[in-house]
Amino acid sequence: MRRRPFDVLLAVSVGLVLAFLLLPLLALFLRIAPRDLLSQLTSEVAVDALVVSLKTSLIAHAAVLLVGTPAAYLLATRRFRGRSLMLTLVELPLVLPPAVAGIALFAAFGRAGLLGDTLDAAGISIPFTQTAVVFAVVFVSSPFYVRLGVSAFEAVDPRLLEASRTLGAGPSRTFFRVALPLAGGGLSAASALAFARGLGEFGATIMFAGSLQGVTQTLPLAIYAQLDLDFDVALALGAFLVVVSVAVLLTVKLLPSWTRFTSISLGPSARFDSS
Amino acid sequence: MDALHIDLARALRAFRLELTLDVDGLVALAGPSGAGKTTVLRTIAGLARPDSGRVALGDDVWFDSESRLDLPPERRSVGLVFQDYALFPHMTVAENVAFGGGSGTAALLERFGIGELAKIRPGELSGGERQRVALARALARDPGVLLLDEPLAALDSHTRARVRGELRGLLAGLEIPALVVTHSFEDAAALTDRIGVLVEGRLIQGGSAAELVAMPSSPFVADFTGSNLLPGNAHATGDGLTEVVLSDGSLIVSTDDLTGEVGAVIHPWEVGIARAMPLDSMQNHFHGAVESLVPVANRVRVRVGPLTAEITAESAARLSLAPGEQVVASFKASGTRLIPLA
Amino acid sequence: MRKLALALAVLAGAGCGGPAGGGDSDDHPTVFGASSLTDVLPKIDPDATYNFAGSDDLAAQIQQGAPADVFAAASPKYPDELYGDGKVDKPVVFATNKLVLIVPKANPAGIHSVNDLRGRDVKLVVGAAGVPVGDYTRTLLDDMGATDVLDQVVSEEDDVKGVVGKVALGEADAGFVYVTDVEPVAEKVTAIQLPTSAQAQIRYEIAVVESAPHHDAAHAFVEEVLGADGRSALSAAGFGLP
Repeated sequence: MRRRPFDVLLAVSVGLVLAFLLLPLLALFLRIAPRDLLSQLTSEVAVDALVVSLKTSLIAHAAVLLVGTPAAYLLATRRFRGRSLMLTLVELPLVLPPAVAGIALFAAFGRAGLLGDTLDAAGISIPFTQTAVVFAVVFVSSPFYVRLGVSAFEAVDPRLLEASRTLGAGPSRTFFRVALPLAGGGLSAASALAFARGLGEFGATIMFAGSLQGVTQTLPLAIYAQLDLDFDVALALGAFLVVVSVAVLLTVKLLPSWTRFTSISLGPSARFDSS
Repeated sequence: MDALHIDLARALRAFRLELTLDVDGLVALAGPSGAGKTTVLRTIAGLARPDSGRVALGDDVWFDSESRLDLPPERRSVGLVFQDYALFPHMTVAENVAFGGGSGTAALLERFGIGELAKIRPGELSGGERQRVALARALARDPGVLLLDEPLAALDSHTRARVRGELRGLLAGLEIPALVVTHSFEDAAALTDRIGVLVEGRLIQGGSAAELVAMPSSPFVADFTGSNLLPGNAHATGDGLTEVVLSDGSLIVSTDDLTGEVGAVIHPWEVGIARAMPLDSMQNHFHGAVESLVPVANRVRVRVGPLTAEITAESAARLSLAPGEQVVASFKASGTRLIPLA
Repeated sequence: MRKLALALAVLAGAGCGGPAGGGDSDDHPTVFGASSLTDVLPKIDPDATYNFAGSDDLAAQIQQGAPADVFAAASPKYPDELYGDGKVDKPVVFATNKLVLIVPKANPAGIHSVNDLRGRDVKLVVGAAGVPVGDYTRTLLDDMGATDVLDQVVSEEDDVKGVVGKVALGEADAGFVYVTDVEPVAEKVTAIQLPTSAQAQIRYEIAVVESAPHHDAAHAFVEEVLGADGRSALSAAGFGLP
């Protein structure tokens, strides 16, 4: 088959994109020997950053899943006035520059913020704490999860949910036994993306939580701080973040794919009835 | 057996659905697509809400607009079989059937002949098998009424006839009322005892299949049940008969007493086909060429001009019928029913 | 924003090399300046292209080959290092500065001296170690015998403007910044003077980058800064003059 010019163009485009994305990653790993990588990762600043990132990311992600899943289900399955407005609002943090997100968090939860007096009266102070990191991570990663979660639930055939109701299952049983398993594939992908986003969060965190080793200095913050202090540690941390991200992506790909169960094939099947 | 009482009104996009119906056996709601049939089923199940009305099974009131009662679907004792069965794709057959609760899953599977499929996922089943699973699943929770939405529509024609018979047997063995919704008169006639014809939100006629065929009250029902309908203008003749001038100018006579714009309803099996004019008591004759021959089971539907006759396969063979051949289609005046068209 | 600048600088330096053509005939230099110079340098030359960040970040960028023409740092440490590596011409001191302790106007923690920083739940923000203002702060506290105050630190910023920002927002109780950083946020903060004896020697150095794409413009810029106009602008902003 003769190669048409358009096909060549497409192949070149794909090649360029892949090269551009993979070259910096490759260069990162070529710059540092694996042995050095591991030894750098055991340095105090690295271990502190790993612990802070892991702790805050996991707590934040648990919160996102717990609250975001029912919210996505509601937005996907109920039609109500203001629904499209709500969907747009959920996406707002996505288009906000992270530093602005940080200032916004201050404006809400800071000492001089909207809830400042209330929190103060309760003896709670959020900025510059690990809680602040969790807040920042939740703020930037939840829109990913909710938006993609809505799509995942929308892909579930509504008649399956109706069938469940006619079979005696109330709304919550229908959610747990029908909607959730069928949306599982999409929700997993959404979860992975949101987690990766939260793990890499920088701007909002450094603004709202500040940067203090062992307390609020997450992996991305540590990388930035170490760039001119100890470039090798920064490199090692960067490489580590890449490895974690790849692992997250692979996990999503390898999870059992429930997506083929979201709809039922209509019409005659290929199997001829012999009975 | 408790009867299902339906009394509902609801504004749909093009018209208003108004229906009062009592279901105390095997009943069909038949009619063209878009007549509101599926809405009726969904309303009974609690998946849609009428503007006003009352839905009750015996003493159990499920919906009553006056007392603002609207039970959610899970609190209504219904079994609903969806048009494409809506089987849970992530569960096995056994899990599907067991979903509604109840302890008799194994027995149900056996009864419906799907015991061997217990561990299989719906995606691998044939259409007929899926229907049986859907039925078993709907009946598993021992509902007070069974609702079926176009139960044969999702099947290919090859399977449909056989499944129709099986389904009839199954429905006949039920001890609860069942409401079948379908756009096919044949399906309705085969599966149920009583048929209500729903057109644009209204029940225009109800009765047994035989009654609808024999005495259609409107052109739609006549057409729907497969009878011939010839429009024309009727006037009385001197000798107690009615003469009808058809649109092409030809004349037929009927024993019915009607004048003005009428439709002459003639059943296909009361139309005889012959090579030449028969010397018998049939008063109405139509000369023309055979336009088509369609075998239906052990009969043949012969179309001659505006008329469709249904004769036995043997007769068709004996006459050596072929498209294009000149024949005479005849029918009696007493077999020519007249219904008003104006 | 600065992270983006760093990434772009690394890419530009590693792959593409400096901008082609232009060369010595261009008038506008690219100046990498310490963030404490954010307000004053544009007053001396409004037409130059500026990149303000922590001096340590800027030094790293220049090391990686960023296309800077001039490097103006808040500490001799980094220009001297770069000079040793042959990346910049011999640096010259062009200004001095002093540290000052700032608190929000409302002063929620009631800070009036370094000693008050030892109070309960005080939220102190300082520059990170390695950033000039951070190093100066630690030297000062060491001189005052008050390094325990560092236990109160809730955030270590990558440049002095980060410290200023958090105090000005009212979210931090106190922060150590340069005296020249106070004026732009004078309405939002109060400055507390620090003992002169404890003040570290804060010397600002400026140097032309060796591989500067706009050599002539770079030299012209440096001369302006060191000249009468530059000195009066620096002085007006609160800098000391060598």
